[in-house]
Amino acid sequence: MTRFGKRDESLPDLIAEAALAALREAALERPDAIVVAAMNPEEFTGEGNYGSLVNTRLGLSTVPSMRVETATSSGVAAIYAGFAAIAAGIHRAVLVVGGEKMTHVPTPRVSEIIGRSIDPHEKSYGATMPALAGIVTRAAMHRRGMTLKEISQVAVKNHAHSARNPYAHFREPVTLEAVMQSRLVADPLRLFHCCPISDGAAALVLSAEPGAVRIAGIGQGTDTIAVRYRADLTSFRATYEAAQAAYAMAGFGPERVDVAELHDAFTPFELISLEDTGLMPQGKAGRATLDGETAIGGRLPVNPSGGLKARGHPLAATGVAQLVELYWQLTGRATGRQVEASVALGQSIGGLATNNWVTLLEARR
Amino acid sequence: MIDEVLAASRCTRCGRLVVPPAALCPDHPVSMESAFLPGVGEVISFTTLYSPPEGFKAPLQIALIELEGGARLFCHGDETRDVRIGSRVSVEAVDSVFYFSHMGFADRARLFWRRAGARGEKLTSIGKSLVKGVWRGRPRGKD
Repeated sequence: MTRFGKRDESLPDLIAEAALAALREAALERPDAIVVAAMNPEEFTGEGNYGSLVNTRLGLSTVPSMRVETATSSGVAAIYAGFAAIAAGIHRAVLVVGGEKMTHVPTPRVSEIIGRSIDPHEKSYGATMPALAGIVTRAAMHRRGMTLKEISQVAVKNHAHSARNPYAHFREPVTLEAVMQSRLVADPLRLFHCCPISDGAAALVLSAEPGAVRIAGIGQGTDTIAVRYRADLTSFRATYEAAQAAYAMAGFGPERVDVAELHDAFTPFELISLEDTGLMPQGKAGRATLDGETAIGGRLPVNPSGGLKARGHPLAATGVAQLVELYWQLTGRATGRQVEASVALGQSIGGLATNNWVTLLEARR
Repeated sequence: MIDEVLAASRCTRCGRLVVPPAALCPDHPVSMESAFLPGVGEVISFTTLYSPPEGFKAPLQIALIELEGGARLFCHGDETRDVRIGSRVSVEAVDSVFYFSHMGFADRARLFWRRAGARGEKLTSIGKSLVKGVWRGRPRGKD
C-alpha cells in the first residue's frame, strides 16, 4: 500500500504504486483478473472507467478488470468479488486494489461528494456524514451511556498507534485534552473525533494457492439508506449481519479474534463496532478502551495501524488497507506496532452503515 | 402552506409507517397505502452542524423525531437549547419541509383540546394562524 496522507501523485499513479508493490510481494507478473475499488473518482478526479484505466496503467490491458462500489466500504466489496471468483474456480489469482484521491478538492466539496451516499430526502435537510454521525453519537451517549471521554480516548489510542506506522497520515500523538477541546463539528462530535481527508491506495493479491494467511470468512450486511427507517440508531444491523455471516463461513466466533481493524471514521463507531461484531459485550467497549484493553499490548488490540482516524481514510482504499495491515500483523511484519495474533477481524462501513463488511483472516500454522 | 397532519405511507404487509410517503416498504417489495399522522412526537436524537453544506446557514439544527405510530422523520428546528432526547415536540410541514418546535404549555393545551373533540377546533385554528404568522417570517435554512 502507499503512504496515506496528502499526496501529489494522481489516483492512477497511487493505485499503480500499491498494485505493483502487491504483485512484487506475491512474485506475480500477471494476475488472472483485476478488481478495482474507487468510490467516486468521477467527481474527485474527473476520471471514470477505472477498470480499464487501471489495467492499462499497470501494463496489464489484456487482463479482465472491473470496478465495484459499496460507498466507503468499496475496498472490501472488491476483495469479496475477487474472493468469490477464486472460490467459484473462475480465477486462480486476482489483484485487488482500492484508492481515492481527495485532498486536492476543497473540504466543503469533499463533504458534498461523500454526502452523495446519504438518502436524498435526509440530504435535503443538510444531513452530512458528520451530522448523521453526530445524531448517532448523541443517541449512543443517551441510551448506551457512551461518554465523551471514551470516544475521545479512541482518538488518543489510534493516534498513538499511527505514530508507529510509516504508512499513516498522522504521525503525531494527541492528548485527551486536545481531543476533548477541539472545535465542535456536529455536536457532540468534535474535530478530533472525525477521520481526516486523505489520499492513498492499497492492494493485495488473492490466490487459490495456499499462502501464509487465508480468508476464513467474509460477510456482507445491509441496512436502509434512510437513517429514519431504522428502529435502532445505536447499533448497526449491517455490521451485525456481516459479522454473523463471516463467523458462519469461518466456523468460529469472535472469541478466537486476536486483533481487529475497525471502521472508526468517527471514533464512537469503533466502540459501536466492537459490540456489533461481538468482540466486546454490549456496553463494555468504552470502559475497555479507557482501561487500555484495545491498545497495542492490550488484550484485544484494535486499529494497530491507527485506523481511519489516524492512518487516514482514502475511502475505497480503506477496506483493502485494513486487510493489508492485518496480513502484516499475522505474518509478523508490522514493524514498530506488531501484536501477537493468529486470527484477525476487519470491519468496513459503507455509507452511514448501509453496506458493511466483516472479514476474518487466519494465519496458517 | 402549513400542514399539521403529515402525509405518510403504511405497509400493507407489516404495518410499518414511513414519512414522507414512499411507493414500496423498505423491508418488503409491497405497495404502501396512504396514511396521515398527527404532527406530534418525541425527539430521538439531534445535532448542531457547524459546517453545513452549501445552501444552509450555520449553525444548522437537525433532529430525528419519532411520531406517534412509529414513523421517524428529519426536521429542522430553530434551536435545540432546551431540547433533550425524549422531549415532546410538535412537527409541522411548511412547504413540504418539516420543522419541529418544543411543545410549551400552550401547545400541550392545544393538543389536549384537539383531542377533546370539536370544542378544540376553534382553539386549534387560532393556534394555527399564530404559528403560520411566525413561520411566514422565517425562511427555510436552505436558500
